Amino acid sequence: MNKLLLVIERDVRIFFQYKFLIIMRAIWFVSQIALFGLIASRMINLREVPDYFRYYVGGLSVMTLYSAAVFIGFDLYEEAEHGVFEYLLSLPVSRQQLVLGRSIGGGLRSFIYVGPLIAVSLYVIGAINPISFLISLFALFLFAFGVSGMSITIAVIIKSSDRFDILMGVLDALIVRLSTAMYPLAIVQASSPLYGGIANFNPVTYAADLFRWGTGIETIITSQNPLMPLLGIIAFFGFFTFVGVVIYDKRIEGGGWQ
Amino acid sequence: MKHVIHILEHDFRNFFRYKWWLVGLVSMNLADLFIMAVVYNHMVSSEVTKTYKSYFDFFAPGLAVTGLFASAFMIGREVNMERRREVHHYMLSIPMTRMELAIGRVLSGGLRGMVYMSPLLLTCFVFVGFPTIPQFLVVLGILFLLALGISGLSIAIAVSTSSLEKFITARGLVYYTLFFCSSVFYPLSLIQELGQDGKFPSVLVTLAEVNPLSSASDTIRSFLLGSPAFSYYSIVNVMVFSAVFTLSAAFAYIKIIERK
Repeated sequence: MNKLLLVIERDVRIFFQYKFLIIMRAIWFVSQIALFGLIASRMINLREVPDYFRYYVGGLSVMTLYSAAVFIGFDLYEEAEHGVFEYLLSLPVSRQQLVLGRSIGGGLRSFIYVGPLIAVSLYVIGAINPISFLISLFALFLFAFGVSGMSITIAVIIKSSDRFDILMGVLDALIVRLSTAMYPLAIVQASSPLYGGIANFNPVTYAADLFRWGTGIETIITSQNPLMPLLGIIAFFGFFTFVGVVIYDKRIEGGGWQ
Repeated sequence: MKHVIHILEHDFRNFFRYKWWLVGLVSMNLADLFIMAVVYNHMVSSEVTKTYKSYFDFFAPGLAVTGLFASAFMIGREVNMERRREVHHYMLSIPMTRMELAIGRVLSGGLRGMVYMSPLLLTCFVFVGFPTIPQFLVVLGILFLLALGISGLSIAIAVSTSSLEKFITARGLVYYTLFFCSSVFYPLSLIQELGQDGKFPSVLVTLAEVNPLSSASDTIRSFLLGSPAFSYYSIVNVMVFSAVFTLSAAFAYIKIIERK
């Protein structure tokens, strides 16, 4: 357990060395709220989405959490490039502890980073329902761990920083756009049954719906039953954390990093 | 002129080294158009759909401009990297004048932006409609001037920042301000209405009005969708932007790479 905590602590410390990345993400977040969110809400039909500004701000927190959690995959390439990987493998920490620690560390650091941004979102959105919000916060924790696990799993499978960069960019574009982070599920389904089908089984959809449900504000809640998204997030977390451990364990040795 | 062509060749070779990265970037842009814009079609207000047929039609020209901006800005990253790794000493040793070197860099950044943007512009024409030949030439001209200005702007930022992190942060700030305070994603009239209602700072409303990204997007829209009305002011606006940043980047580039 102590070794696991050390792995987690290391990843959290590393993240906060990327000061400029953190500043840039914060600028992105604020400009999305103050510029895009404000202006785009003006062109939305109020019958379709009664309060698009608050709806969008809720989704934005989840988008930011996703992009911060994905970042751990890039750390792996940085470590491989500088030979730190071999050092990590030589430590008296089991492979399982290493990957589990990295997955939790990746999720935790993104959560610490997004914490103040979520606070800004809540200030903009308004009142919250404390019990529901704590449940949704717990789900967001699992979501962040799951995304970190996914990023690590893909990074160790691909072992090429260029391909990883491209794949994560494309995946980000698809997973965020085919979710309810920016628009309600009913609208996605109306625009295309295919898009609606994908959005229905998307972890970003689950996280965004739960976050909005946690606020308790009627006009932006699109999912009345939190059980389905909660189960979806638990399944996502379980798959990428535990399957990720197995894949990481098999792929970590033998070099081949590009 | 021959020397400038050598610089263009050098920068284009670098550009196509990242071909998979470019494919990824194009697919992200297309995801914006074929997913985000398609879904937005179903929730934008009737005022927008009455004026522009659909949000998809409105956004397609804006997307071409977005792609142009992102790719023309890439030259700044390379110039910044060359400066940090002191490759500029080698560049200075090449038998050509400083001005040829600087103009070559700005021009290649702009032309690379045009090459990258071409499939996005073609997609826009295929789905929204084709302009007449004179209109097409005006569109190409205005986009080329815009690409030159963006390339100049990115080089000016690249030579004024000492580290990659600072460059990326400055780039982010410029990106988001110029993108979101423009008519790329939403009609300019909405920003002006928000300004009149006192919900948006007048400085940002003015920025959106003079923003060259707004001018280029709205010029394409005026030809393809008939709205907003075509304005010569847009062309003058992009010309001024291009002239200011091409020249200032060229002089800043010469000044900085010669500094010991």
